[in-house]
Amino acid sequence: MDAFIRFTNQTQGRDRLFRATQYTCMLLRYLLEPKAGKEKVVMKLKKLESSVSTGRKWFRLGNVVHAVQATEQSIHATDLVPRLCLTLANLNRVIYFICDTILWVRSVGLTSGINKERWRTRAARHYCYSLLLSLVRDLYEISLQMEQVIHDKAKKEKSASQDPCGYSVADEETEWLQSFLLLLFRSLKRHPPLLLDTVKNLCDILNPLDQLGICKSNPGIIGLVGLVSSIAGMITVAYPQMKLKTH
Amino acid sequence: MDAWVRFSAQSQARERLCRAAQYACSLLGHALQRHGASPELQKQIRQLEGHLSLGRKLLRLGNSADALESAKRAVHLSDVVLRFCITVSHLNRALYFACDNVLWAGKSGLAPRVDQEKWAQRSFRYYLFSLIMNLSRDAYEIRLLMEQESSACSRRLKGSGGGVPGGIETGGLGGPGTPGGGLPQLALKLRLQVLLLARVLRGHPPLLLDVVRNACDLFIPLDKLGLWRCGPGIVGLCGLVSSILSILTLIYPWLRLKP
Repeated sequence: MDAFIRFTNQTQGRDRLFRATQYTCMLLRYLLEPKAGKEKVVMKLKKLESSVSTGRKWFRLGNVVHAVQATEQSIHATDLVPRLCLTLANLNRVIYFICDTILWVRSVGLTSGINKERWRTRAARHYCYSLLLSLVRDLYEISLQMEQVIHDKAKKEKSASQDPCGYSVADEETEWLQSFLLLLFRSLKRHPPLLLDTVKNLCDILNPLDQLGICKSNPGIIGLVGLVSSIAGMITVAYPQMKLKTH
Repeated sequence: MDAWVRFSAQSQARERLCRAAQYACSLLGHALQRHGASPELQKQIRQLEGHLSLGRKLLRLGNSADALESAKRAVHLSDVVLRFCITVSHLNRALYFACDNVLWAGKSGLAPRVDQEKWAQRSFRYYLFSLIMNLSRDAYEIRLLMEQESSACSRRLKGSGGGVPGGIETGGLGGPGTPGGGLPQLALKLRLQVLLLARVLRGHPPLLLDVVRNACDLFIPLDKLGLWRCGPGIVGLCGLVSSILSILTLIYPWLRLKP
């Protein structure tokens, strides 16, 4: 219970837990809706989802400052590609949080002259840009890890003085693909924070793509990927060493 | 900026900020009503207050576990009175949060058959009991400190050769019996006690903060249960003051009263 309390004492921990609940409701609703006789349950799930989603806005208020601080920190990254990608990603997050705050002001009724659809589209667009840039950074880090794996393997083989195996003599396409996937798997296995971050960003990006109409999917898929990314987020909060660090 | 990030990373801090905002809205709504502001503005403030209240209920989901853990820890305290007061206070808080969760389930539509009035009254009752326990603990701590302070004073006086006791230095709980005192002596005794109390509280800011906070909080359940109707203005003001004080204890952890 102590670990649960320490987890929920952090705003991010609670927020991820509620997010997981929200997307679980979305997924369950999609699965139960076609079934007959489940209307009451579906209605309750919808109400839970909407109240959790509204309540989560309170967790996001003031996150503009967090994003600005993250931008300042990412300017000091050593490598050029992560520095560029992360700074731009965090700038887009700042704009996303500003749009989100404006939507909140509209939703609590403090002002009525705000075009909800337009601001929602803006927020989704900037969220999408920030996720794309984070993914570019993840791909860059993956490529570095893959180079490292090849390098280590080559060193091991040189010292064992054996013929280089597998992928260096691959001629056929399927063998090349297989060895590429194996290399990718090995690099990600060595670096769990990178795997977690990549999975989280890939799952997260489907939601804004669906909202912007670029890649329409159904609520079931959105719910599933939202749940997976929330669980990945909860793991990074519960185990801070699993968070992807910038050097 | 760094301070805000660290502060808002605690979920309790965010909940306290929402509480402060909620009672500020309540106070503002009352003030606007008194001064005849437009009904549109009043409606907006009331709506914001409603959103804040519901949002806080969501933010508080899971606080029962926290209160139970604190009660478990308090059982191991050495002082009997403190152990009793703090444990019972935390248990009542846990019950208050449980009732609050039921109210949230009712308001968000998950359990539409929940009798909102009944559960609200229950939750305020538990809240009131917990505040009474807190105030008893504060009174006990104050009494201990006053005894300590007065015995330290009398020791100092004895040590300095016992001259004419000046002002507050006597702290005479059972002073040398001057015959036929009556009312003036009672008034003097009372004055000395009050001065000793002021001295003790001045020297222990966490205790002072806790007393003021609990005293302000007390008005809220008293008003809601109908025991002492003080009006929305007073409730809003007291709620705002107690929220600001608890935000201070979060920003400066040394201001927190430790058992």
